[in-house]
Amino acid sequence: MALRSAQGDGPTSSRWDGGAEKTDFTAKRKKKVAEIYQALNSDPTDVAALRRMAISEGGLLTDEIRQKVWPKLLNVNTNDPPPISGKDLRQVSKDYQQVLLDVRRSLRRFPPGMPEEQREGLQEELIDIILLILERNPQLHYYQGYHDIVVTFLLVVGEGLATSLVEKLSTHHLRDFMDPTMDNTKHILNCLMPIIDQVNPELHDFMQSAEVGTIFALSWLITWFGHVLSDFRHVVRLYDFFLACHPLMPIYFAAVIVLHREQEVLDCDCDMASVHHLLSQIPQDLPYETLISRAGDLFVQFPPSKLALDAAAQQQAEKTAASTFKDFELASAQQRPDTVLRQRFRGLLRPEERTKDVLTKPRTNHFVKLAVMGLTVALGAAALAVVKSALEWAPKFQLQLFP
Amino acid sequence: MAQPILGHGSLQPASAAGLASLELDSSLDQYVQIRIFKIIVIGDSNVGKTCLTFRFCGGTFPDKTEATIGVDFREKTVEIEGEKIKVQVWDTAGQERFRKSMVEHYYRNVHAVVFVYDVTKMTSFTNLKMWIQECNGHAVPPLVPKVLVGNKCDLREQIQVPSNLALKFADAHNMLLFETSAKDPKESQNVESIFMCLACRLKAQKSLLYRDAERQQGKVQKLESPQEANSKASCPC
Repeated sequence: MALRSAQGDGPTSSRWDGGAEKTDFTAKRKKKVAEIYQALNSDPTDVAALRRMAISEGGLLTDEIRQKVWPKLLNVNTNDPPPISGKDLRQVSKDYQQVLLDVRRSLRRFPPGMPEEQREGLQEELIDIILLILERNPQLHYYQGYHDIVVTFLLVVGEGLATSLVEKLSTHHLRDFMDPTMDNTKHILNCLMPIIDQVNPELHDFMQSAEVGTIFALSWLITWFGHVLSDFRHVVRLYDFFLACHPLMPIYFAAVIVLHREQEVLDCDCDMASVHHLLSQIPQDLPYETLISRAGDLFVQFPPSKLALDAAAQQQAEKTAASTFKDFELASAQQRPDTVLRQRFRGLLRPEERTKDVLTKPRTNHFVKLAVMGLTVALGAAALAVVKSALEWAPKFQLQLFP
Repeated sequence: MAQPILGHGSLQPASAAGLASLELDSSLDQYVQIRIFKIIVIGDSNVGKTCLTFRFCGGTFPDKTEATIGVDFREKTVEIEGEKIKVQVWDTAGQERFRKSMVEHYYRNVHAVVFVYDVTKMTSFTNLKMWIQECNGHAVPPLVPKVLVGNKCDLREQIQVPSNLALKFADAHNMLLFETSAKDPKESQNVESIFMCLACRLKAQKSLLYRDAERQQGKVQKLESPQEANSKASCPC
């Protein structure tokens, strides 16, 4: 079911605006659509290519494409019948009351012009999906904000497929948020300041003196920004990106937003309230494509293993990576291992196409490493990060590829 | 996303109690050391914490509030007896899982705590015990003023928590009780008076050394209309 396919169109980057570049944009876009379909139709599906498309400029472009590609990124078989609820979960679920309260209040997540009746129908579906996933996975615990994630999938792919996709996502990318406590979520939030410190120590120190904490980024992280962005096109663009990347990518993106707002933060009074207030108000006109590309660069330069984290956070970063990521990459590798390899070698062989060191902090030597890696600009550093992180965290996998 | 409104609210003539909300004047901030009062608002999910803080800080009832994730922040500068005071209101998530590790940072150095329950939902009232424990667990000193707010009293037909029950509870826990509605425009001044009352107390603390808190305990302030509010919700200090 395509509820919003027409609305998924259009570039979000201002770079692509303007008459002269319009033809260029249309041509680029056409080319990308063709490439995506080629990757989709190849046998087996070229998941690594789809991953790169989801990350690179414009993401997956339309909701129609997302309906086809998101399942591939999550390794969900669309031919399997969607899970069906056997009993009336509303009467037995311990989470029903909370889910109901949150879904009822989630009016803003639906397109403004949508008829009330249709919206109410979707809200009912939203409740059903959430309760079904929770019932099938008793280890998962509902959190406020989960509904913001589920609604995004519901609006793009419809109820049946949304259930399968979100169930997979919940046992992988979102797993840490769904523990009985928020401790692991807190550990992930603890990655934020070390990332900022790597790029901009002055900003980091300012925020530390303000004692702002990291709760301003909590809703960003656990809803993948679905709770705070009002334009649905931006939300799905980010979902393309996050679905294709390492589960910790949202925290890198959060860091990039803070870094982007450096001047505003530094101009703020140095106290918790002022800085929290400023940062929690996310600007709606962010240059998403640029920020996505920067987040990818940052991930490559300062991967979780390199961040100066406290022990718990470090352990968490590694655990997250190991538990959630390996099987996606293995799955895609099984479908097309040579692509992963080719991509990696192409990166190594083309040093002239180095990515710009937009975010390099003078006191680190990571730039050298980045140059050696020779990331291609067109591909986007993040796409390589995906490949790289898979190799880093899955040594056995690497052995399989490099016999 | 909730849209905090900074220093919004029209300039009102000072009321009999000497209260007036003022526009946030940043130019003045630079020259005058403004005292800051930090208030945290806690209570079950969907009792109306966000709407109450909006009412106070923004003057209007937001028609589409969503679940609060983590902590939201709003503020308003008020004038009490000639002194400008910045009231910072920290609006928290109601779901239990956010309380433990997430919100503790925001309990630090609070000057007052507002407990909110929904008068049409008994569980939100019975859960207050847990909220009080939560508050104590975060090492909020016992002398920090606490008020109890029963929200949604415009839904008269659905009231489940009788005033006398709430009053008894408030007495037992040394709190002032307010019953109000963030939704009802006629109650908007009353909502303001809850926070103003706290601000007054906080201001007075400097000299009164908490004696006021004891004297005022258990006095229910049932706010039915703006007229009544003006007489009843005057500064208790």
